[in-house]
Parts: sequence; structure tokens; C-alpha cells
Amino acid sequence: MPHDHGQPAPSPAENMEAFLDGLWKQNPVFVQVLGTCPTLAITNSVSNAVAMGLATLFVLVCSNALVSAVRKLVPKQVRIATYILIIATFVTIVDYLIKAISVAVYKALGPFIALIVVNCIILGRAEAYASKNPVGKSILDGLGMGIGFFIALFSLGSVREILGAGTFLGFPLFGPNYQPWVLFLLPPGGFFTLAIWLMVFAAWKDRKKRREVKTMAEAA
Amino acid sequence: MSAANLPQPAASDSVRMIRLMGSVSLICGLLIVGTHIGTMEPIRRNQEFITKETVSALLPGVDKQAVYSLVNGDLQPGAQPNVPVLYAGFDKQGALIGVVIETSERGYADTIKAMYAYSPDLQAITGFQVMELKETPGLGDKITKDPAFLDNFKKLDVTAGPDGKPAHPVVTVKHGTKKNPWEVDAISGATISSRAVGRMLAKSTATMLPLVRKNLDRIRKGN
Repeated sequence: MPHDHGQPAPSPAENMEAFLDGLWKQNPVFVQVLGTCPTLAITNSVSNAVAMGLATLFVLVCSNALVSAVRKLVPKQVRIATYILIIATFVTIVDYLIKAISVAVYKALGPFIALIVVNCIILGRAEAYASKNPVGKSILDGLGMGIGFFIALFSLGSVREILGAGTFLGFPLFGPNYQPWVLFLLPPGGFFTLAIWLMVFAAWKDRKKRREVKTMAEAA
Repeated sequence: MSAANLPQPAASDSVRMIRLMGSVSLICGLLIVGTHIGTMEPIRRNQEFITKETVSALLPGVDKQAVYSLVNGDLQPGAQPNVPVLYAGFDKQGALIGVVIETSERGYADTIKAMYAYSPDLQAITGFQVMELKETPGLGDKITKDPAFLDNFKKLDVTAGPDGKPAHPVVTVKHGTKKNPWEVDAISGATISSRAVGRMLAKSTATMLPLVRKNLDRIRKGN
């Protein structure tokens, strides 16, 4: 619905859907397989994954809000330029904030903070959702997608740090005799872990579909 | 021909576009400036802490640190903004271990900022650490942690020539062709970043080392 003039305010159920879509049904990483560059690159430890997830969540919510606020004023010829301008602004802000909060985190994320600008999830949500929906719903969509991205990074980061270093958030889990599976900290480990999670999701969706078919058959 | 057939945007459209982009840019600019001003103080404090830690890491055994700034071609005690700064590190007995000097150079993407340790006794660079870079992940950013590359700076010769500058300026050579103690062996696949490191050290040693040597007695006494 590109024009919401005179439409009734969105119902709470609709809002909830905007929020939940990103978390699960339309999860940006596990379902849409978007933003795989940061997903693979920064998930070698839980703390990096958490920092990247939070930074992206912040940018996504803020840019969705601002894009939605100016959506009726933006001529369509310059809309992408305007969106990128808005996204780049919030990435710069997040860059300053991380530097102010912790230099260690800033160094660990390094150039990947600036690369949030080109994370296709953010531009994707601006173009596909925020430019067509009111501010409130766009913020909810940003929150949902952002938290969905956060969950995905956290899932990958946990598996990789637990297997690859034998630690969780830096705390050793298995005692001194554990031989870390270093492969999981290296780039190939990122691909393996993402593949495992995608498999889990595909299997879960497949099972759900079969169950639906079965109930429908029984009902008939 | 085909251009004439295309729907031409009316003049008011351009004005509208410019106005919109202008106001969005203004809002964005204000947001960034606001954040910049708000975070200036905590960032400065963080940087100070990190600098202290780095000096300790580059000069093992350091107990006390003193800061000097390069002002009008002369070393003055205390840190001053926007001028090259150097840190002297002393051990528990108060003897000078070495100095740590800040330097920067344009890399492949944006400026690379780094610090290196110089030992006046060995007349050599004894350590190097990158403080800030935006080089390509997986390629250029290897200069921060590639062990073979960092081995170059365990004892990189900068022995003074007759004019006080290093007799042989630091130079980056192609990977695997390092022959002399003043050469830096580049990382293959990160040649531009490796060369930037060589350049920043050559430039900085040429200006800073003569000054350090001239003021060595003063620095040793800690004033």
C-alpha cells in the first residue's frame, strides 16, 4: 500500500506482524539470505556478533524511521541517493558511538562498521518497506528485521566461538583439555556454520509444510 | 533523437529534488555534528588510555611515561593537539628504554595511523603497531597482525648517517626479497598497505630521529 492517506490506523495485529516477520518468517539471514558479508565475516566471536548486530539494529531502525518520515517528499529519481545519504549518516553516528563506548570493540569491527552502509538488508528495508509505510510500522519493521539479524549473527557467533575456541563470551567451557576446532574461527567455518543453520531452517519449514498438507488431507 | 522522446522533467522537479536533497543533507549533517561533539570527550579519553597501553606493549618493562610534542621544529614537554607526539618510556630504575613515535600515511583506503618504538641504544626500530586503518579486510588489514610482517620491526635498522637522518631510509621491498636490515618485506596481496608502512616509517624517522638524538640527554633526564 503505497498511499496510506485516509486509511485507518494500523491495528495492533498488523503492527505485530510487521515486527514478527523479520524475526522469523522473513528472517533476513536465514530466510532471505541477505547481508551475508557481515554475517560470515564478524561472527567469529559472540562479542563481535553482538556488537555488529546491535550496530546494524540501530542503523536499521533509525534509517527506516527517517526514510518513512520523508517518503512523501522524495522524488523517485533521487530516492536511492536520499536513502543512502540517510543510511550513511546513521552509520557515521554509530561509528562515533562505538568509538566512544569501547576502542577494543571498534578495533575488532574495524572497517566493517563503515560497510554497514552497503548492507543490503538496510537499503532493502528502506526501499521495500519504509518508503511505503508509516513511521510507526517502519520502526517496528526495522526492529523486527534488526533483531532477526541480531539473532542470526548471535546463532552463528555462538556456534563458531564454542566449537572454534571452546569459549562463550571469552569464558572457557570445556576445561583445559579441549582441543579447539580452529577451522570454525576461520572463513570456511563461517560458511559451514551458515550452511548448518540454513539446513536447520529448511528442514523445519519442510516439516511444517508436510504437517499442513497432512491436516488438510485429513480435514478433507 | 531518443532524448527528445523521453519525458523531460519539468524545471520545478529539479528544484524540488535539490530542495529535498539539500534539506535531508542538512538534517543528516546536523545529526553527525551533534554526535561528533557529544562523543568527543569520551573518545579522547579512550584514545589516551589506548595510547598508554600501546606504549607499554611496544616498550616492554616500561614503568613511567613522558610525553613530548614537536612544536616549531623543537621538542616540548606535554601533549599538544595536531602536532607529532612522542612518548618516552622509562623502567623502574628511571633509565630510558626507548621512545614511541606516532606516525601516519595514506594507505589503500584512508589514512593508516600507527606507532613505532625506537631504541636510541640499538639505533633501531624495535616495534610497530597499527592504531587505526580502514584497509580491505583480509588483504590490507594483514599489516596489523601478520606475524611474518611484524617480524620486520623486531630490529629494523635506522642507524644515523652524517646528517642525523637514518643512513639507509626504511624501504618496503617485494615479498621475499628482503636482504638488508633496513628493508621491510611486503606482504604479498597487501603490497600497497605494506608500502604505506615503509613510507610512513621513512618519513617519520627522517624528521623525528634527529630531534630525538639532539634532545636525548634531556629526554633521558625526563624533562
